[in-house]
Amino acid sequence: MTTSTEITLGVLALQGAFREHIEYFQKVIESHPQEYSKFTFTFIEVKTEDQLRRCDSLVIPGGESTSISLIAERTNLLQPLMDYVKSENPIWGTCAGLIFLSKQLKNGRVGQKLLGGLNVEVTRNAFGRQLDSFESPLDFSSFIPDCHAFPTVFIRAPVITELLHDGPTESKSESDSIFYSQNNYNNKAPIEVLHSLKNHGKIDHELIVAVRQGHILGTSFHPELATDDYRFHKWYIDEFVVKSKNKSTDI
Amino acid sequence: MSDFKIKAGLAQMLKGGVIMDVVNAEQAKIAEQAGACAVMALERIPADMRKSGQVCRMSDPKMIREIMEAVSIPVMAKVRIGHTVEAQILEALSIDYIDESEVLTPADKINHIAKSNYKVPFVCGAKDLGEALRRINEGAAMIRTKGEAGTGDVSEAVKHITIIKKEIEDAAALKSEEEIAAYAKQLRVPVALLKEVLELKKLPVVNFAAGGVATPADAALLMQLGCDGVFVGSGIFKANNPAKLAKAIVNATTNYDDPAKILEYSTDLGELMAGVSIDSIRDNERLSQRGW
Repeated sequence: MTTSTEITLGVLALQGAFREHIEYFQKVIESHPQEYSKFTFTFIEVKTEDQLRRCDSLVIPGGESTSISLIAERTNLLQPLMDYVKSENPIWGTCAGLIFLSKQLKNGRVGQKLLGGLNVEVTRNAFGRQLDSFESPLDFSSFIPDCHAFPTVFIRAPVITELLHDGPTESKSESDSIFYSQNNYNNKAPIEVLHSLKNHGKIDHELIVAVRQGHILGTSFHPELATDDYRFHKWYIDEFVVKSKNKSTDI
Repeated sequence: MSDFKIKAGLAQMLKGGVIMDVVNAEQAKIAEQAGACAVMALERIPADMRKSGQVCRMSDPKMIREIMEAVSIPVMAKVRIGHTVEAQILEALSIDYIDESEVLTPADKINHIAKSNYKVPFVCGAKDLGEALRRINEGAAMIRTKGEAGTGDVSEAVKHITIIKKEIEDAAALKSEEEIAAYAKQLRVPVALLKEVLELKKLPVVNFAAGGVATPADAALLMQLGCDGVFVGSGIFKANNPAKLAKAIVNATTNYDDPAKILEYSTDLGELMAGVSIDSIRDNERLSQRGW
């Protein structure tokens, strides 16, 4: 007798490019039927607490981080999201999603809330305006096997400007005010820098664009816009979603 | 074409969101706090342009710059159809998106701007599939329905999205290469672009609703019809409680398929934009007739 393990992967659908993520995950499963034959995947848009509760994993997509935060708060989803971050379920935030998952934020707006799952400081619109948006093939082979030249797209992207190993940091100047997460959760897992940009434009220091802290992944860029390239989404399913599910069903 | 991905990509990030017309920094901040995913900076909202009967041009860059400094969300601004220099000015200003808009008085009655020549992405209005594809072929990275701006009458936006959907559906029934080529010729677009639409069964770029949206229910209606997001022009700041209405429209755009929530968002909004019914406007005075 074969039994299939059900996995529900949700994408937060308050605003932004959530359909793209669902489409990419579906492509991964469709193109590897053998590999995932033990599982039955369901991909859902998440707009309510009930939908969130069904999710074995959550993806927070790109969009406008202020819009996503304000809508979450007004539709009574902010607290459930903060609680979800505390669970062991895997979470991945891209661009605005990375901002929302951070512990502290530079260049945020009044009223913007943070879920506080990743102990990092993120700087919003770190590269500038739309004219500074860019595309670049990056080498992710250090964490995704054989993934060289992955086509990344950075759109008004944030970067990770501080790893908060020892808790929140103070603002250095009045003009550079920092927003802090009100979630009391403290992610105990080590913070791993997965990728940073070196020598981007005229910037002489490294810019961190992908981090992992235990069950939470954050990327500045948009793998859901990598034309016909589903490797990043497959890696997330394998490394985060399936592993976490296997762990919880083994017990 | 890698540039195009960056341009179309920003539009993808705006999906499910509301883009609001604002005439100053104060309104821009209200829009941002309401959850707008972008603002459109312009000197006069369409309802006032419509009344003025004057030539309407690109806004003063001083006012656009003030809005860009006031908010952190993307800022769009309008140029006249075919006015390449207004577009160059906005690109020099580092605007995030240019709307080549029929709401302003057209500068070129024959050609639209060759939008591929710019690094800044463009959004353009369309009433039907041919118009949408001609704009995309010129380099537009986002499409919006034309609707009838400045009226508060949603019927034209509904008409335009319905026509675009119907025409894509009809085109999908075309079987032979000859039929497809003939239809592409009729629409005055390359065969390859039409084939892309037939494969995707939708436009190859993001398609927002615009023109006459005045209530949360209007926004939800257009989302249910398949639009990717909503532009709200005169509707918000012509109402007597703009902040409340703006939030309600944002909420309704997210939860467009949940009647109980739209009921809540539609309740007690105060006096809304009075508007002008489309039937009271003569054909030659309709803004949607501009552009081709």
